[in-house]
Amino acid sequence: MKNAQYIILILLGFCLSNFQGQEAPGAKQGGTVLLLNGTAHLGTGEMINRSAIVLEKGKIVKVMNALTNTINNSDYDTVIDIKDKHVYPGFIAVNSTLGLMEIGAVRATEDFKEIGTYNPNVRSIIAYNTDSKITPTIRTNGVLIAQVTPRGGVISGSSSVVNFDAWNWEDALVKEDIGIHLNWPRFMKSSGWWSTPGDTKKSKNYAERTKEISTFFDEAAAYNKALNEGERDLKLEAMGALFTGEKTLYVNVSYVKEINDVINFKRKYKLKKVVIVGGYDSWMVTDRLKENNIPVIIQHIHSLPNQPEDDIDLPYKLPKLLRDAGVSYCLQYNADMEQMGTRNLPFVAGTTIAYGLTYEEGVASITLNAAKILGVNKELGSIEEGKNATLFVSDGDALDMRTSNVFIAFIDGRMVNLDNHQSRNYNKYKTKYGLE
Amino acid sequence: MKNYLFLLLVFFSIIGVSQEDFPTNGVRDKNHNSHAFINATIHVDAETIINEGYLFIKEGRITYVGLKTKLPENCVVHDAKGKHIYPSFIDLYTSYGAEEVKKSPRSNYPQYNSLKKGAYSWNQAIKPEVNGIEIFTENDKSAKEYRNIGFGTVLSHQQDGVARGTSVLTNLASNSQHENIVLEKAAAHYSFKKGSSRQAYPSSLMGCIALIKQTFLDAEWYHNSSEDKQKNLSLEAFTSTQSLPQIFDVRNKYSVLRADKIGDEFSVQYIFKGVGDEYQMISDMKATNGKFIVPLNFPKAYDVEDPYDARHVSLEEMKHWELAPSNPKFLEENQIVFALTTDGLKKKSEFLTNLRKAVKRGLSKKQALKSLTQVPAEMIGAYAELGSLTLGKQANFLITSGDVFEQGESIHQNWINGQKHEVSAMDLVDIRGVYNLNVNQNIRTLKVTGSKEKPSGKLTYDMIVDSISVKGDLVLDSLTGKPYKVIKKKSVKVTTTLNDHTIAISYQLKGGVYRLSGNVNFGSGVWDGRGQMPNGDWVKWTAIRSEKHEKKKKALAVADSITLGKFNYPMMAYGWDSLPVQKSILIKNATVWTLEEQGTLEADLLIRGGKIVHIGKIADIVDGNSIVIDGKGKHVSPGIIDEHSHIAIERGVNEGSNAVTAEVRIGDVIKPNDINIYRQLSGGVTASQLLHGSANPIGGQAALIKLRWGNSPEQMKVMNAPGFIKFALGENVKQSNWGSYNTIRFPQTRMGVEQVFYDAFINAQEYENKWSVYNELPKKKKQEVSAPRRDLQTEAILEILNAQRFVTCHSYVQSEINMLMHVADSMKFRLNTFTHILEGYKVADKMKAHGAGGSTFSDWWAYKFEVNDAIPHNASLLNQMGIVTAINSDDAEMGRRLNQEAAKGIKYGGMTEEEALKMVTLNPAILLHVDERMGSIKVGKDADLVIWSDNPLSIYAKAEQTIIDGIIYYDWERDLKMRKEIQQERLRIITKMIEEKNGGAETQKAFKKKSQVHVCGTLSDDGN
Repeated sequence: MKNAQYIILILLGFCLSNFQGQEAPGAKQGGTVLLLNGTAHLGTGEMINRSAIVLEKGKIVKVMNALTNTINNSDYDTVIDIKDKHVYPGFIAVNSTLGLMEIGAVRATEDFKEIGTYNPNVRSIIAYNTDSKITPTIRTNGVLIAQVTPRGGVISGSSSVVNFDAWNWEDALVKEDIGIHLNWPRFMKSSGWWSTPGDTKKSKNYAERTKEISTFFDEAAAYNKALNEGERDLKLEAMGALFTGEKTLYVNVSYVKEINDVINFKRKYKLKKVVIVGGYDSWMVTDRLKENNIPVIIQHIHSLPNQPEDDIDLPYKLPKLLRDAGVSYCLQYNADMEQMGTRNLPFVAGTTIAYGLTYEEGVASITLNAAKILGVNKELGSIEEGKNATLFVSDGDALDMRTSNVFIAFIDGRMVNLDNHQSRNYNKYKTKYGLE
Repeated sequence: MKNYLFLLLVFFSIIGVSQEDFPTNGVRDKNHNSHAFINATIHVDAETIINEGYLFIKEGRITYVGLKTKLPENCVVHDAKGKHIYPSFIDLYTSYGAEEVKKSPRSNYPQYNSLKKGAYSWNQAIKPEVNGIEIFTENDKSAKEYRNIGFGTVLSHQQDGVARGTSVLTNLASNSQHENIVLEKAAAHYSFKKGSSRQAYPSSLMGCIALIKQTFLDAEWYHNSSEDKQKNLSLEAFTSTQSLPQIFDVRNKYSVLRADKIGDEFSVQYIFKGVGDEYQMISDMKATNGKFIVPLNFPKAYDVEDPYDARHVSLEEMKHWELAPSNPKFLEENQIVFALTTDGLKKKSEFLTNLRKAVKRGLSKKQALKSLTQVPAEMIGAYAELGSLTLGKQANFLITSGDVFEQGESIHQNWINGQKHEVSAMDLVDIRGVYNLNVNQNIRTLKVTGSKEKPSGKLTYDMIVDSISVKGDLVLDSLTGKPYKVIKKKSVKVTTTLNDHTIAISYQLKGGVYRLSGNVNFGSGVWDGRGQMPNGDWVKWTAIRSEKHEKKKKALAVADSITLGKFNYPMMAYGWDSLPVQKSILIKNATVWTLEEQGTLEADLLIRGGKIVHIGKIADIVDGNSIVIDGKGKHVSPGIIDEHSHIAIERGVNEGSNAVTAEVRIGDVIKPNDINIYRQLSGGVTASQLLHGSANPIGGQAALIKLRWGNSPEQMKVMNAPGFIKFALGENVKQSNWGSYNTIRFPQTRMGVEQVFYDAFINAQEYENKWSVYNELPKKKKQEVSAPRRDLQTEAILEILNAQRFVTCHSYVQSEINMLMHVADSMKFRLNTFTHILEGYKVADKMKAHGAGGSTFSDWWAYKFEVNDAIPHNASLLNQMGIVTAINSDDAEMGRRLNQEAAKGIKYGGMTEEEALKMVTLNPAILLHVDERMGSIKVGKDADLVIWSDNPLSIYAKAEQTIIDGIIYYDWERDLKMRKEIQQERLRIITKMIEEKNGGAETQKAFKKKSQVHVCGTLSDDGN
C-alpha cells in the first residue's frame, strides 16, 4: 500500500513537472512492477477477478490469479495495489489517421491523403507526428496503439502500427508497413454533392473500375514474380509483399455485392491476407467471409443505418452478428471527427456489449481481435506473459464513460504521462475562477 | 380558406376567331359551312349523356346539342354512330410553347445581386412581370402530342422562379396563335423553387417562403404608399395579378400546407399543383379548402428480382408505387376538387394509360371527365367558354371509338375551335378475320389479327415433307424404301398495308416474294386485285372472308379488387398503422430520476391526461384503458431535450446566402417523415430545438418540436414555446472554410461580424421608431400619410431587442463571445444561450455576469482552427460557475446517444450523476424557457419520460419506452415487431412488382432516393 501511495506521488510530481510543455515520453522501465488485486480483462476473452501482473523490462512476465497464488510483495521493486480497479491491455485504434491530421479544416495540417490513384509505395509512418496535441488526449482514455493509415485514391498506401509514447516515428513503430489499403469502387453512386445529396444509383463504370484494379494487380504480380533486372517500378515493387502474404490487403468496402467481388478478388489473386474495412453489409455474407478467412474491421458503429427500414440498431449489433457467424472482427473509429474522437473508442466497444457481445468480447474487439487482424498479436493485444507491457488501469469500467477514469498506463513498461493540454487548460481556468 | 371572389373579377378577353385585319393572298376563304355530328353518344358534361345525340357546330362554336333534330343547311354531316363525343380535355399545368429558360452563366463566385436588367425585383426569382402570352410561340409538334391524348386547351406558363408571372390559356388547334388564345392572362403562378436564378438568396425552402411573404408586404406597401418611390415593375405586376386564379406548384404534401399557410396570412386561396402524394395526408389536404391540380405520373415498378438491389428501394417508395394510382380516387372520395394534368409524365402517351389505371383503381368516370374538363375550366374561369358541350361554347370536343376511360378504346378526332384534327381513322375498315386467299388458283388461309389500327397477318398452308423420327433419322417406307411423307402446317408472316380501301399484301414463300395490291370491298368481305409472282408474272388474286373477327368481350372496368397495403403515419418504415392515443400510464417500482428536490428514488409514477399526476406509492389502477408498466429494475428519467438539432428539416438547414436572414423560419419547413425522428425517440429524445445553420451572423428562427412521430408539422411544434433565433460567429460566418471563391460577402473577419450585429440592431431600433411615430398619429392623419414598409427581417431582430425572441448563438472563441455580450449589453438585451461555446470556460465569469447560458458539445474539438482550444471539461466548468449548461448533439447520430454525451460530464470535470443528466433534460428546458412544463419529473409537468434498462448515464442503458405527453411513441418490443412487419410488407410489394414486370409492364432500376437524412444540409463545414 505504501508503495502505491508512493507511485501516486510520483505521478503527481510527474504531471506538475510537465505542466507547461508537451508530454515527454516515459523513461525506460527500470525495476519490476507488480500490479496487484485488479480485475484483469485479459483481451483474450477471459478475466481474472483479482490478478497479479508482473512487468519487467517492458514485458509482461507473469499473469496470475492473486487468490490462488502466493505473492510476495517484496519480490518486486514496485507494487501497485489496484484493488477495485480494472486493468486492460492497451486499446488499439485500427484504421486511424491519428498523427496525420492535426486540425480538420486546416489543410496545412492534413497528411493522410496523397495525390494520385495508385500509391502502394506511399508510407504513412513518414508523416506520423509523435508531437500531435491530439494523441495525449486519446491515451488518457486507454487507447495506446494505433494503425496509422493513409486514405484516398484507389490504393492509398501502406499503414504501420505505432505506440503513443515516442520521441519520433522510429521510436513509435511497433511494426512497419503492415498492409496496403485499397478503396474498392462503389457499386452504387450518389449524385449531387455533400450539401445537397441526390439519388444513389447503380454506377455506370463499376465494372470498368474493378477491371482497372485487376490490371494493376496483374502487373504487380508479374513484376514481382522474379527478381526484376530492368528498371525499378516503385509502385509495383511495393505490392510484392501482398502476394507473399507478408503484407495484408485492407479493402474499404461496404455494399454486399462489392464484398462478394472482393472475396472473389482474393481468390483470384490467391492473396493470403485480406481484411474488409467498413463492411456495413458483411453480416449478409458471413459464410463466405468465414470460408475465405477474411476478417472485418467493422465500420464505426456509432453511425446511422443506411436505409430508413434497416433495424435502428443495425450498426450497433454488427459485431454481434459477425460473432454469431464466427467471422473475425474488430472495431474502429473511422468517421467524422475521427482523430480527436478516437478517445471514445472504448465507448464504441461498450456499445457492442449493450447490443449483444459479452463484456470480455467487447474488450477483445479493441484489443486482441485488433492485434490479430494487424498481425501484432505476438507483441500486443492481451495481458499475457511474454507480451509487451502495454496496458492500463482504470478506476472503473473503462468501456463506460460513466465510470471510465484511467489511473495509470504503461507502454512497453514505460509509465505514460496521462496529462494533456486540455486538463491543463481546465486547471488553469479553475484556478482563475477560484474553483475547487 | 378564403372564398375567392376574384373569379367574378376576371375579365374575359376572348379574342375573335377571324383575322379580319390581315391582308389576304388570293381569294378570300369564307367557308362558313357548319358540321353536324349525328347518332353519337354525347357526353355534354360529366353529368349529362345524350344517346343517339346530335351536335352541330358553326364557326368554331357549338350551335346545337341534343336529340335528333333537323340538320342545318349547308352542313357537312358526320355519322358518328357508335362513337362517343366528349368535351376536349384541359391541362392547367404546362409550359407548352413557352420560351425556354436559360440559366445564367455559372460563376465560381457567389452572386448576391440580381442580374436582371430593368426596374424589377431585387430578387431574380421574383418575376411576376413575366407574361406567358409574351414569351409564347406555337409549336404544332408539341400541340399534336397533347391533341392525340385528348387535350384541346392548355394553360401555359414559364415554369421558372418563385413568382413566375402569368399564364396564357390557349387552344391547341393547328391554326394561328391569334385564333388559339382563350385567355391572355389566365392565372398567376408560384413555386418554392428559385429556378434559373443563381442569385444566392434564397438558398433554402424557408428562404423561398420568406421571400414570398416579404414580396406580399412590399407589393402592398408599394401599392398603398403615396411617397415618392422608385419604380418597381415586379411589385406592380405582383399586385395586379392577384386578381387572377393563383396556382402554387409544390413538391410534396407538406408544401401544400406551407403554401396554404402563406395564403391564409395574405387572404389568398391557392390552387395547389401537387405531385400525387396527397392521399398520404388527405384530411390535411381537405382542410386547406384548396383545389388541386394533380399529375398521373405514377411511378414504375422497380427491378427488385435481385434481393440486394431491392434493398435500395425504401418502403416509402414501394408504398407510393402501390398507392399512387389510387390518389385520384382518394381525392374524389374526400370530395376534394381536383383537375388532372399531364405534368410529370415522361411520355405524354402514358397519360391515357395512367388515367385508365386510376379509373380501374376506383376513380369514377364521371369524376375523371370532370377533372379533365369542367373543373379545370372553372378553376381558370373559362367555363363559360370551355369544359362542356353546351350551346354557345367553343367547339372543342373529342370523337372516340367508345368509352374513353376504357382500355382499348381510341380517340379518333380532336376538334378544337371547330377545326378537325385526326388522331386515328374513324371509318377505318376492320380487316381482321379469316380469309381464303386465292392467288393464281392457289388457295391458302390468311388470318388477320391484332388491333384494328395495326392488323397483322399470317398465311398458313400445308406442306408435304419427309417424316423424321425422334432421333432425327428419316423414316423410310418399308415397301418403297423411300421416305414417308407427312403433311406439315406451315405459316408465314404477311404484311398488310391498308390505305382507306386499298390494300397491299406481301409475303415470302419458298419460291420468292409475292406482292399483291387490290381493293377492300363489302366491309372487308371480299378483297380483289392484281399482283406479281416471284417469277415476275402478273396474276389476279382474291381473298374472301370466311370468318369475321370476333370482338372479345371486355370486362367492364371495376375498381381494382387487389387489396392495397395499409396506410402508415408517416407513410414509411416504422410509421404507425394508426396514430397512438393518450392513455393513463402507471409505472410501478422504478428508479425515478426526478431531477427535483425529491432526487432519485424508488417509486411509482402515474401519468394521466399527458401530465405527471403522482410520484410515490400508487395503488393499481383498474381502469381497463390504462397501461401498467412494471418498472422493477428500470430507470425513469425525464425525456431528453436536444437544444441543438437539425433533424426533420426540409430542403436546407441554412439560408446560407445573405449575412442576415432573420426572416426565415425553420418552423415553416418541418419535415415530419424524417426517419431520424424515430431513431432519436429510440435514444430517449422527446424534444428537439430545430435550429437554423451557422452560415450567417444572423440566421433564421428556430422551432421547438416534440418528436410526435406520425403527426403533421404543426402538431409537432411545442405550443406557446418562446421564439428563438440562431446567431453565429467565427469561421462559418466569415466563410473561412468555404473555398477561395466565397470571399466577397461581408463579413470576412471577426471585426466585420461585430458591425453586422450593430447595423442590424440599430436598424431595428430605427424601424421601431418609424412605426411608433406612425402608430401614434391621429386616425385622420394616418389616412394622409402612408404606413412605413413592413420588413420581416427587421421585425424578427426587433423582437430580440424587446425580449420577445431569444438568441442562441453558435460560438467558439472567447474574443467573439466577449464581443457579442458587449453588443447585447449596449443594445440592452440579454443573450439567452451560447451554443457550442467551446471556449466558454475562458469567459465563464463574463457569461455569468451577463446571464447567458451555454449549450455545448461534450468533447468535440480539433475539427477546425477555432476549436483547437476546446476542452471536454467545458460543460463541467460552466456548470460549476453556476451557468445553466446543456449538452447538445448538432448531429443526427449523436442525437440518439445524448445520455452518454451527458455522462461524459462525470468523467471530465466530475459532475454528479444528476448534474450530468440535467445537461440533457432540465437545463436545456430552462434555456428554452419551457422548464415550467418540461425537463424534470414533477407533478403537473408534461409526461415526457424515458424508461431505461439501466442507469441512464451508462453506455449499457437502452431506452425501452419513450413517452411524450403520456403517449408511448417508442417501445422497443413494438420496434422488434415492426421490423418483421416491414420485411413482410416489403416482400408483399416486391412480389407485386415482379408480377407486374412479368406481365410486361415497364420498370425502373432499383435505386436509393436521395437522402431523407439531413446529415449536413448546410454550407458550413461542421454540420451546423
